[in-house]
Amino acid sequence: MSRHSLETKIGAVTLRNPVLLASGPAGYGLEYEGLLDLERIGGVVTKTISFEPREGNPGTRLHETGGGLLNSIGLENVGAEVFFSEKMPALVDAGIKPVVSLAAEDWEDYRMLLDATAGTVGVDIIELNLSCPNVERGGMAVGTNPELLAKYVRHAKDTLPGMTVLAKLTPNVGDIAALALAAEEAGADGITAINTVVGMDIDLAARRPVFKRIRAGLSGPAVMPIALDAVWRISRTVDIPVVGVGGITSIADAMKFFMAGAAAIQVGTAVFYDPALPERIVETLEETGIPGPLGDCSRMKGAG
Amino acid sequence: MKGLFTGRIIRTQRLSPLSHLIVFERPRGFPDAAPGQFVSLRITSTITPLLRRPFSIMDLTGTELHLLVKVVGKGSDILAHSPCGAEIDIAGPFGGTVFPSPEKKDAVFVAGGTGLAPMIFAARTWKRDRSLGRADLVYGAGCEEELLVSLCGEDFTAVHSATIDGSCGFEGDAVALLEKLVEEGKAGGGILYSCGPTGMVRAMAGRAAARFSRHLTSLESVMACGVGACRGCTVPVKTDGGTVLRTICSDGTVFDASEIDWERWEE
Repeated sequence: MSRHSLETKIGAVTLRNPVLLASGPAGYGLEYEGLLDLERIGGVVTKTISFEPREGNPGTRLHETGGGLLNSIGLENVGAEVFFSEKMPALVDAGIKPVVSLAAEDWEDYRMLLDATAGTVGVDIIELNLSCPNVERGGMAVGTNPELLAKYVRHAKDTLPGMTVLAKLTPNVGDIAALALAAEEAGADGITAINTVVGMDIDLAARRPVFKRIRAGLSGPAVMPIALDAVWRISRTVDIPVVGVGGITSIADAMKFFMAGAAAIQVGTAVFYDPALPERIVETLEETGIPGPLGDCSRMKGAG
Repeated sequence: MKGLFTGRIIRTQRLSPLSHLIVFERPRGFPDAAPGQFVSLRITSTITPLLRRPFSIMDLTGTELHLLVKVVGKGSDILAHSPCGAEIDIAGPFGGTVFPSPEKKDAVFVAGGTGLAPMIFAARTWKRDRSLGRADLVYGAGCEEELLVSLCGEDFTAVHSATIDGSCGFEGDAVALLEKLVEEGKAGGGILYSCGPTGMVRAMAGRAAARFSRHLTSLESVMACGVGACRGCTVPVKTDGGTVLRTICSDGTVFDASEIDWERWEE
């Protein structure tokens, strides 16, 4: 049986296939050596990098919920200098396509980060994480405001000529499609949806919230329908590719994201418990091809 | 090199109302492991529980992998009651640092709860390669029923037991018992090895450990990835330039307790 080509074009970049590891769980990529064959997947969206190293949040950082995982890592990372000089070259040497996730605390910080990125050879696709719920500054505050979001995207396109820019959006808004439209109009080459869903939990015995910051980010199968809905609505609003992420736990889940209109997908939390899942999705897609998007469903039974 | 394996349960033993010994056939190709390393089990293929659960290796022979499982929630409950023949997804061995042997010198081991497992693995490993001198175990549990002395009686020269309710041995926790032994001149000098709840290790690191040449501890934590990627299980470690965050899963599990910045560590 002939194998389907899975090459996927996003902006100026061609990925060998549309299955990526999501930012956060993927670390800097090489941690999973031995558990999953990173050369088989389309790429790794790295841990979010900030200009200066970040320590992340104190206290509890992980808490399992029904079918989900709350995290409050707080964008702990090694900073741009160490990332670009050490972590990224190691990924590239291992034959892995890096998609570099970036975040900043404020505009000045953002400008310095993009300047550092501009001077780095080998980065041709970035994902702007303007939607992390676990930081005081620069996360959701930017990503929930269409004007600010557009300003950040436009600056990335202006500062980094030829760079493919994905804007990663938060579901913690009234209309995620409006944000996607703002990012597209500002020049984004693609939309990644979704970041984690804000949630909390309480330590019953201690009578206090589980997390020091109280609110944390929910991922895992519990958020999958929210992500699927976001991808569906965004892909009907913008013309640029949508990268679907949120709770993909099985090959079937991945297929649904393509049908909802995703051009590519990312596997995040599932890598923790099923690191072979991304490879299995790739294998299946090679056999079946990438499912096409559903058409206009307004006349389907049950639509409404 | 770590990997993904399928382990078949070949023997189980209920040790107490909550604690179980689960013995797996050593999976084909499963690498050698050292004391302080752990495996991460995907207990069901459903999404509840979602994450893998980490378990210290209690013993690894040519044919068997032993884990000590205490029922504390849904995951451990399912695993503890899995029947012989059940096949479980095992990832590992994980952990970038391991306990160094005492090189034939005397050693004291302090275990709280399931922290007993890596202490047993250490004692057995070093007895096999003849690198262990006198080995005293100071071991605490909530009550007599949860004191799993029958599991490790032959692994140590002497077992000093403590129970919180005083139902067996010293009344109090393992740290208080260790302090008593030190005061009486019955322990101290060599390497102190420990594993248990973080509160236990924290209490020891400040006081009793000062009487030993080193205090090495295998830390426990909730974990997601097990390989250092997610940064979910970090601990602040003192360095020349200040404090850096290390992951328990891959920079540990074994740390020199004197290097941990206990003041900054908020669990």
